[in-house]
Amino acid sequence: MRRTVTKVFTIADFEEEEIWLREQHKKGWKLTGMTPPCFYRFESCEPEDVIYRLDFGSDDRPNDYMQMLSDFGWEHFADCLGWSYFRKPASETVTEEEGEIFSDDESRAEQVTKVMRSRLLPVVLLFFCTVLPNFMRMLDGEYIGFWGKVYSGFFSIVFALDVFLIVYCTAKLKKIRSRYKD
Amino acid sequence: MEERIKRIYVPMTESGFYILYCLQEPQHGYGISRQVKEMTGGEVTISAGTMYGALSKMEKDGLIRLHGEEDKRKLYQLTESGKEVLSAETARIERLFRNSRGEYLNEKNSD
Repeated sequence: MRRTVTKVFTIADFEEEEIWLREQHKKGWKLTGMTPPCFYRFESCEPEDVIYRLDFGSDDRPNDYMQMLSDFGWEHFADCLGWSYFRKPASETVTEEEGEIFSDDESRAEQVTKVMRSRLLPVVLLFFCTVLPNFMRMLDGEYIGFWGKVYSGFFSIVFALDVFLIVYCTAKLKKIRSRYKD
Repeated sequence: MEERIKRIYVPMTESGFYILYCLQEPQHGYGISRQVKEMTGGEVTISAGTMYGALSKMEKDGLIRLHGEEDKRKLYQLTESGKEVLSAETARIERLFRNSRGEYLNEKNSD
């Protein structure tokens, strides 16, 4: 049996996403793939405790990186928007490190920095270049008539959503990074 | 050995030490991890990405070099500079070990 679940995780929620996917697998649903931005495709399976890990930017990594992860028992089964999805049965891990792709704080902090630079920064730039100027124009009352109102309403939502996302993701990514950096 | 390299690597982490120790013979990342696990009775395990990062960094710093490739796996081996770092670290650990057993005090008392 197959099913598709719609669920939103921001770029700062990858740890929650890993936990959620692990729970799904325990309930007998294994992830087979993703349709961007927020559709998860599952297939029914034997319930099992499987550790899921999201690795950002592995597409830029050379072949030997993927080979190393596969040597260490990680199954690479999906990619979505720069994130690579890996999993490994919990029964194959004894120590905490074996259930992690990165066990040193430096690599973990680096991963968060990569997400901030290549994901968060473009959103912030886009905000200042297009969303904010449009919003200001709207406040100046430049959009009139019925369509002007529709457009204004639409832009207000985009503006609010964007501000929320930027503030939320920045704060959360910084918090995650500070766990690994003194 | 360059001062800079010495400052970065001595003292080093336990996993860093084992990686250098294992690379006295040509070995790939997963091989190192299995060997370290065996040597430490399973107490020291190194994650895949961390191993990859450590090997890349050590190669960049000239402690190890590419020995060859086996399928898609890179085999590494210690360089002269890597050997120097390993022996400097070994000397440090030996001193630590002797002092932890109070050998310094014993020698002093027998004087």
